[in-house]
Amino acid sequence: MDSITVSDLRKYYGQVKAVDGLSFSVPQGEIFGMLGPNGAGKTTTVETIVGLIGRDGGDVAVMGIDPAQDPVGVKARIGVQLQTAAMFPRLAVREVIRLYASFYPKNVDEDEVIALVGLQEKANVQTRNLSGGQLQRLSVALAIVSDGDIIFLDEPTTGLDPQARRGLWDVINRMRGRGKTIFLTTHYMDEAEKLCDRVAVVDRGKIIALDSPQALINENFQEKAIEFNQPALTADRNLSGLPGVTMVQVEDDLIILYSSEVPKTIAALMEYSQKAGATVDDLTVRTATLEDVFLKLTGRRIRE
Amino acid sequence: MKMLWQLITANVKDMMRDRMSMFWFLAFPIVFILLFGAVFSGNGADQSYSIGLAVEDKGPVGSGIRKAFESVPSFELHQGSKETELAALKQGKRILVVEVPGKVQATIATGKPAEISIYYDPGRAATAQALISAAREILSEVERRATGAPRLFIAKPIKVEVKQLKNIDYLLPGILAMALMQLGLFGALGFVSLRERKIIRRLGATPVPKSLVLWSEILVRLAMAVVQAVSIVLIGHLAYGVTVVGNWPAVLGLVLLGALVFISLGYFLISFTKTSESAQGLIQLVQFPMMFLSGIFFPIEIMPRFLKPVIRAIPLSYLGDALRNVMVGLPTAFGIWTDVAILGGWLLVTAILAVRLFRWE
Ligand SMILES: Nc1ncnc2c1ncn2[C@@H]1O[C@H](COP(=O)(O)OP(=O)(O)O)[C@@H](O)[C@H]1O
Ligand SMILES: [Mg+2]
Repeated sequence: MDSITVSDLRKYYGQVKAVDGLSFSVPQGEIFGMLGPNGAGKTTTVETIVGLIGRDGGDVAVMGIDPAQDPVGVKARIGVQLQTAAMFPRLAVREVIRLYASFYPKNVDEDEVIALVGLQEKANVQTRNLSGGQLQRLSVALAIVSDGDIIFLDEPTTGLDPQARRGLWDVINRMRGRGKTIFLTTHYMDEAEKLCDRVAVVDRGKIIALDSPQALINENFQEKAIEFNQPALTADRNLSGLPGVTMVQVEDDLIILYSSEVPKTIAALMEYSQKAGATVDDLTVRTATLEDVFLKLTGRRIRE
Repeated sequence: MKMLWQLITANVKDMMRDRMSMFWFLAFPIVFILLFGAVFSGNGADQSYSIGLAVEDKGPVGSGIRKAFESVPSFELHQGSKETELAALKQGKRILVVEVPGKVQATIATGKPAEISIYYDPGRAATAQALISAAREILSEVERRATGAPRLFIAKPIKVEVKQLKNIDYLLPGILAMALMQLGLFGALGFVSLRERKIIRRLGATPVPKSLVLWSEILVRLAMAVVQAVSIVLIGHLAYGVTVVGNWPAVLGLVLLGALVFISLGYFLISFTKTSESAQGLIQLVQFPMMFLSGIFFPIEIMPRFLKPVIRAIPLSYLGDALRNVMVGLPTAFGIWTDVAILGGWLLVTAILAVRLFRWE
């Protein structure tokens, strides 16, 4: 049985179609990612699936239960981390975790949770004295302590430094090791790429692609990306005619040529730019990423 | 049950660690009672009858008079020479000085009445007159014993406990009523802060029923109300000797009912506001006039007539009225059952409205 099935999910706020017909299912034990820019509808999707807000259309089943029919039944079997939640300011880390543990029929031992998110030294510190990163980890701890079958994490690593992010990735992988299903949203490409088994790329309330990160890249690009800065060439239509070039993307002064024959393209580019009197003296070649996929599908970058 | 207990624990811990609020919660009754007690005390305080006795006669008559005066318990008797006692009278330290001259024994022996002078302070004439009669009575008793004349009457004093009511007796139940009001109304701000910080929303993603959060708050407030009541009664007793004459269960019942009325009113009020600031403002706006128009500081009878309808609309009026009756035995202005019924009505109406209008997020 799939942990989550969603079909044609809709949620409107007046004119705003926050979620506009999403369909997907998440098998048990998978790390499922929702990748999209701010305002894409990620938070709204999570909140409708967990039964925090009602939906305007479509079907949702979490562990076979419809959150609109039996919200408590759903909430008792999942752990949730919300993007906007603050803590009781004068309770210590351990006390908040104990409080939340008491809400669930079964729960993970509080010391184990504290160790899992690496807050051992802060266990007795009041939450108002924690740093942003520590609060974020506590917030994840409150999702884990439920011992739910599915853990929902809404942008769990936003605002964390790279080291702390990697620490949280470890935590998430360990949860998968315990057989949990993870539903995670992010606007970090590398996070989706490294962590998720499958990624739904969302924009404006719609899924525009859904597959494993590698498959998404392979489906969209056999090519590599050649990037360089040259303001004089951003409006030059001839670039797409260079040998090997399959697509051109322009981002301000940055030009990206996707090429299936990198050496040929570079040689031709050098010659052309010289003739045009706008030399390219610094370029990088890299394999395509999810960022490129998003750019190709939407014409925009994820973070603006 | 486990959830409720954990929520209560969390609530209490969170509150106890808020040093500022805790300080005010504990200091409030002390400060108020001492402040108002100091302002209003003085009238009706127990008077001691300070009497000077200057016995210059060394014989049996002198010692008989001395013993007679010493046997009166309500006299604060000072014995000394005529000069020192008269000096004390002039300084206002005595109300009366009784002088028994040295030649009393000799005068009586000659068959003439001996003169005993009673000096008094005309500034306290009323008390002095009463005391002069008492002194005369004592002297004639001594005389009767000396002459052996038969008794015609025996005046038998019978003790009747009369509670001397003081201003502080009026004020103390009012201060308790006010404390309960503030506890209930301002207590609702705790929920506003949870709501504002999206903690309530976060709890909404757990299986805990949100109403349990409210119940935990209500139970904690009720416990605080009892603590507040006990501390106010205790301080009133220790500092001003106010004793509770009513029965304790009735006092407790009223304290809980009063607290519930204002807790409910508090939750009703915060459904009209979003932020902590606006909630605080609204509550201030409601509680301030109530405080002054409810007759908790001044008897309702002395308030201007045009304010009477307002006074009659305010729940605090009835709580103060009922507490004065049950705690210190003052007569009620409205009748104790009217008080209870109106408080119950307020509780019912505000509770229904609060449930209807409640804003969880
Ligand atoms: N409560 C709300 N009222 C009105 N509009 C909302 C509300 N919540 C979200 N939206 C709108 O819905 C869209 C999706 O928002 P959200 O789900 O928060 O996106 P994300 O989490 O991907 O950043 C946005 O345009 C946002 O402005
Ligand atoms: Mg979001």
